Amino acid sequence: MAGKSGSRVPGTLKGLALTFKTAMQTMFPKRGIKTLIPAPSIGAMTVQYPHEADLPTPRARGVISLKEDNCTSCMLCARECPDWCIYIEGHKTLAPPRRAGGKPRSVNKLDRFDIDYSLCMYCGICVEVCPFEALFWTPEYEYSEARIADLLHDKSRLGEWFQTVPDFQPYESGSEAKVEKVPR
Amino acid sequence: MTTTEDIPQITDLDSLDGAIARLVADNSVLHLSQSEAEERSGYQAPTADGMGERMIMNMGPQHPSTHGVLRIVLELEGEVIIRSKPIIGYLHTGMEKTGEELSYLQGPTNVTRMDYASPLFTELAFALAVEQLLGIEVPERARWIRMLMCEANRISSHMLFMATNGMDLGAVSMMLYGWREREEVLRFLELVTGLRMNHNYIRPGGVAADLPDGWKGSLQRAIDPLPERLDEFDILMTGQPIWRERLQGVGVITAEECLTLGVTGPILRSTGYAWDLRKDMPYLHYDELDFDVLVGSYGDCFDRYAIRLNEIRESIGMIRQIVDRMPGGDYKIQDKKVTPPPRARIDESMEALIHHFKIFTEGFKVPAGETYAAVESPRGELGVYIVSDGSARPHRMHVRAPSFINLQSMPHMMRNSLLADTVAIVSSVDPIMGEVDR
Ligand code: SF4
Ligand code: SF4
Repeated sequence: MAGKSGSRVPGTLKGLALTFKTAMQTMFPKRGIKTLIPAPSIGAMTVQYPHEADLPTPRARGVISLKEDNCTSCMLCARECPDWCIYIEGHKTLAPPRRAGGKPRSVNKLDRFDIDYSLCMYCGICVEVCPFEALFWTPEYEYSEARIADLLHDKSRLGEWFQTVPDFQPYESGSEAKVEKVPR
Repeated sequence: MTTTEDIPQITDLDSLDGAIARLVADNSVLHLSQSEAEERSGYQAPTADGMGERMIMNMGPQHPSTHGVLRIVLELEGEVIIRSKPIIGYLHTGMEKTGEELSYLQGPTNVTRMDYASPLFTELAFALAVEQLLGIEVPERARWIRMLMCEANRISSHMLFMATNGMDLGAVSMMLYGWREREEVLRFLELVTGLRMNHNYIRPGGVAADLPDGWKGSLQRAIDPLPERLDEFDILMTGQPIWRERLQGVGVITAEECLTLGVTGPILRSTGYAWDLRKDMPYLHYDELDFDVLVGSYGDCFDRYAIRLNEIRESIGMIRQIVDRMPGGDYKIQDKKVTPPPRARIDESMEALIHHFKIFTEGFKVPAGETYAAVESPRGELGVYIVSDGSARPHRMHVRAPSFINLQSMPHMMRNSLLADTVAIVSSVDPIMGEVDR
């Protein structure tokens, strides 16, 4: 209950002391002889972003990368994307036979594979549904753009991100195949 | 703060009739169309029939304390609020309707965006409803993982409340501390789900991925400093005379009024009525956990604050129990109808590949029927009602959003309070506008 005005002072002072203590711990986190050198960037709980990079977890859904050779343009990802932000075009072409003397194989070649990151909601459905291990999450996050239209990234950019895919942690039963298939 | 025992429960329905009559007589809701409001906006001189100086004032939709875009039209007499009306719809995105277009596999990513401060609870309610229709039982481990994640999410949501409540009332350092603690919990959620919010993690049939290596360590880093920090919150806020004077006796509501309005969660518990779905209608394995339902006794803003603060303590205790009891096993159901085949088998068998394509292009069919599943979210009873017509998409999906229903208690709490208390009251209702508008 609200006490008499005289009793307000100790409570207020205690609160102020706590705030002051926390502020001091942030400003002067160093011990020993350096006690009085202010180092807020060490004491702060925040990551001093442009100077030091935040380390996302390996599972972080930062951006989707594409392993172009694995994609068969089956369109499953584009169909299942809840907001239809994957654009795929492809054509059939002949590839050299697997074994010498065999017939040339008919394969699907990707002409276009764009993901519109201004629409993407990072749900991960496309990565989960891709049956041919062509899509991977990577924790990369530095791809902001000045114009929203520039967030449409094509297959070469998605392919560059593929270099940053972390080794998968065991993910689901039978995931070993997926681990092997981060081809590096 | 008292616990469940020795609190009288309301069994007499007549008392609710009394509450309805009182609420109606109270006349605290401002019924005013947009054009009338414009006509009457600004200062109105006292009228002959005894009305004093009145003023219609808009608070929001961009007021910093309205947590998103809530607009409140206030009818003021001097500085006292006579009637008020919350105006919603600024965040309306038609998510319930969108849910009818998305398959049950895509559904969680849609519903998770409703209550963005506690997304896992909406996912859980959706998943429970779909599982009820399917008649499947998810594996033990999936259930415990769900409970673990939800309690962690409850902590982060209540921390958000601590931060914004402090900020709204002028305890600015509290805002920073609340966010600092929340960030640690979110880091754990990110480790497990991959995202800080809108996880799409709890799915019909289990969870999206197993707990990763090192989850215990990360969880401990997030949880272990909390009890000490909560004691700091007690110094900064609970024990503060200024804080108590701002909150005590402000925005009072009674249990009967709460029940007639359908208000649940910390607001209902602050009136002394111990109603918590985790205790009263246990889902998952909450009946096996040892925890207290916290109730207040005055139904004011301070009780609501204190309940949320202590619910964080309860959640920490629950998380410790869950970690100790986390069973092994599968994290999602292995049911051909619902689960796609394991990755490894896709390469080996054409059949598995066809199954994979089929389950994702068609989605899984859910038997016709209707069901309602409810969970206790940090804001109250969060329910998902699904009508299925036997196809792979819900015929109708409705979400009983606690924020939406709690919001209608606001005019009654604000009646005859000061304008400055509006901020305290809005903040103590803790509405998430994404969930209100859906
Ligand atoms: S993450 Fe989701 S929204 Fe984004 S491209 Fe993939 S399926 Fe579409
Ligand atoms: S699902 Fe995979 S293989 Fe099919 S089009 Fe998408 S990325 Fe390519």
